[in-house]
Amino acid sequence: MVFHLDKCIGCHTCSVACKNVWTDRKGAEYMWWNNVETKPGTGFPTKWEDQEKYQGGFETNGDGKLKIKSTSKAQIVPNIFHNPHMPSMDDYYEPWTYDYQNLFNAPEGADQPTAEPISMIDGEKIDVQSGPNWDDDLGGSPIYAENDPNLAGLTDQQRLQLSSVERLVFFYLPRICNHCLNPCCVASCPSGALYKRGEDGIVLIDQQKCRAWRSCVAACPYKKTYFNWFTGKSEKCILCFPRLETGQAPACFHSCVGRIRYLGVLLYDAERLEEVAKLPDDELVEGQRSMILDPFDPEIIAEAKKNGISDGVIQAAQNSPVYRFVMEWKIALPPHIEFRTLPMLFYVPPMSPVQASKAEDTITHNSDKLFHDIDDSRVPMKFLANLFGAGHEGVVRYALAKQKAVRWHRRAETVGDIDRETADRMLREADCTREQADAIYELTSLCTYEDRFVIPPMHREQAIEMMKDPHEHREEVGFGFVGGPRRGL
Amino acid sequence: MVDIMELQTRLSELSCRKAACGARLGEAARLARKLQLPLLGLFFAMAPTVAQAQDTPDYFRQNCVNCHTIGGGRLTGPDLKDVTQRRDSEWIIGFLQNPKAVIDGGDAYAAKLLEGSRGVVMPIAPGMTRYRAEQIIKLIAAESKLEKSQFQGVKISNKPFTEQDRVKGRKLFTGVRPLKNGGTACNSCHSMYDLSGLGGGHLGPDLTRVYERLKGRKSLGAWLMAPATATMQPVFKSHPLEAEEIFALSAYFESGAKHSEVETSVNRVAFLLMGLAVAAATVFLFDIIWKGRFYAVRRPLVEAGRKVWRSGDQLGGDERHSASNLAAAGTVGEQASPGDHS
Repeated sequence: MVFHLDKCIGCHTCSVACKNVWTDRKGAEYMWWNNVETKPGTGFPTKWEDQEKYQGGFETNGDGKLKIKSTSKAQIVPNIFHNPHMPSMDDYYEPWTYDYQNLFNAPEGADQPTAEPISMIDGEKIDVQSGPNWDDDLGGSPIYAENDPNLAGLTDQQRLQLSSVERLVFFYLPRICNHCLNPCCVASCPSGALYKRGEDGIVLIDQQKCRAWRSCVAACPYKKTYFNWFTGKSEKCILCFPRLETGQAPACFHSCVGRIRYLGVLLYDAERLEEVAKLPDDELVEGQRSMILDPFDPEIIAEAKKNGISDGVIQAAQNSPVYRFVMEWKIALPPHIEFRTLPMLFYVPPMSPVQASKAEDTITHNSDKLFHDIDDSRVPMKFLANLFGAGHEGVVRYALAKQKAVRWHRRAETVGDIDRETADRMLREADCTREQADAIYELTSLCTYEDRFVIPPMHREQAIEMMKDPHEHREEVGFGFVGGPRRGL
Repeated sequence: MVDIMELQTRLSELSCRKAACGARLGEAARLARKLQLPLLGLFFAMAPTVAQAQDTPDYFRQNCVNCHTIGGGRLTGPDLKDVTQRRDSEWIIGFLQNPKAVIDGGDAYAAKLLEGSRGVVMPIAPGMTRYRAEQIIKLIAAESKLEKSQFQGVKISNKPFTEQDRVKGRKLFTGVRPLKNGGTACNSCHSMYDLSGLGGGHLGPDLTRVYERLKGRKSLGAWLMAPATATMQPVFKSHPLEAEEIFALSAYFESGAKHSEVETSVNRVAFLLMGLAVAAATVFLFDIIWKGRFYAVRRPLVEAGRKVWRSGDQLGGDERHSASNLAAAGTVGEQASPGDHS
């Protein structure tokens, strides 16, 4: 999965599509499997990125082992009745609706009746204190934007600039479950209810095995598993697998207005997982890339076939837009890889307006430096590095420089107000060729549905064959739950 | 407009009824499913009754010998030797099937029996049918002819109890000394006058005065040989007590007869209070240990932010950069705290 942040307009269509399809149910009112956050901002739930508070993800401890931050074999017993470090309802928000009936039923009076907000939890009238995108477009920024954990390491001046008039900046960060390679939620579940599907890597929660321990909620550093208070089971993004199995893009991908989302297959070497997840912070991005295999390499194709991967999947991997963004062009980066879950959702970092430089009384936006608008962009590089580079600027700068070079190249081609030489120089410095720049441009701006979503044939029948006899399976399955999941065993 | 509204209300009423109807149907189906189980259970429960009919001596041993002997003298109930000559079989069958009904019916002989057992009404033995009663009468008649019936009663030694027996009995009662055949120690369900700490169990009655209640060692011994209550029978059926264990326990029970029963109600209140105190102490302790625990994220954030605004207003805005941001941003502070803003 790739989300191209430079194209995101923050319209929340993805969130609404997901809500309508999956979480418009009792007990799931507060869940947003897909949400869109404003950066800088604290997101949903509030400050989810602050693992000193929420204790999500993995850490490497002294003896070089990977350890779940939130729990361990010894901690499970003392925390058996209460899992600490859980976001409270206030950290999400108390879901509410409006008392629309009052518009019809209010007794005759001098004033127009109003629809007051009422809680969806207890039906009482509430004073709405927060919502799932309360800090949208920098709303309440002196509280929320200022506490964005990614601001760590910024100078006071940089912080000040982020919210001062005419220098203010924000961008959007749409988030779904990252369907990590090394999912912490799966690792933490005491019931073994969570699993990563072998054939497509989708991380799922078995609603019949879930025993409401909520370890996954605490363990997921992205806070993308949610507890359904009505059924007593945890739930999370399922990447619309019923849609994928029928060749359709997930609802949020399909509905995206800015067409920022890309979906495709990546082949990876699962045996190197532990080794990579233990790398030091600054090597993690490269480490994860080194796990992803080249689908054009004949050796890898042969090996994949030997492992029962069908031709259709290999073909999809070769056409994968994700492979091009992540591996060929290296302009898509995983969010907060320092949580060590190796997320499989990659973001193309956003460009931002340039910081004006003020010389005496003239304000200029130009500079002699080719990439000045990256180094002087309104979003400080350090901020993006905290978000996408585990605190290290190199990979982020590379991605932004290449995007910038592509823009200048296209400008030289189509508008012609930039000379070809400068454009070529920029391409060279950004480690990009003209062909590559055109390819990036095409996949970014001219992409069709088929370009963005290369969905492999799912071959459920083969996936089932791995686990049990398909005939036996056919006799056992029906139309799903009888009566739906509920509390208890 | 009004008509349309009315129509809507009626429609919604109709759909409600439909839903209720559906729910009722579902309930009926569930009920039917539930009913199947007890029916099956009933069927299986009837089958073994016939099979057990051949085991009349076993049945007698399990259900009768704790109050009756055949030629061994009176226990709680009378000696059954030659009972078939004292009363006709129809009377006995009727009595066996429902002793209380016969007594309540004003039968003179039954009243005499009740007096003899000092008011203890004979219970209906489990699975007592007419066929079974006939079998038992046959068994009693046959056993009465024998010189020495197998149901003559337990031979509990008649020698006087010594202090040593009492100590041994207490050890058996408390489980310090395990019962030879693996039975559960008495104090798991019963208590006695001299048990320390929280006493014994409360499932069964306090046994301090049991020696007196059961009228001496003979009937006590008979009871212990084959305990007949629904709780004790399954436990001791396969782990019977030895004769010497019964003797020692009787000695211990005899010593209890001189004491009064433990005030269980006082005990329970003390226990409850102690539990409450310990629970409160634990909660308090946890609160201290996890003082720095995770409470909430958003609310403290908002409260801290508001505090900075207020102090920023008072200190002229250079306390922290956030406060000065606010000055730059202009109106936000005014909206948040209009009263404080000067």
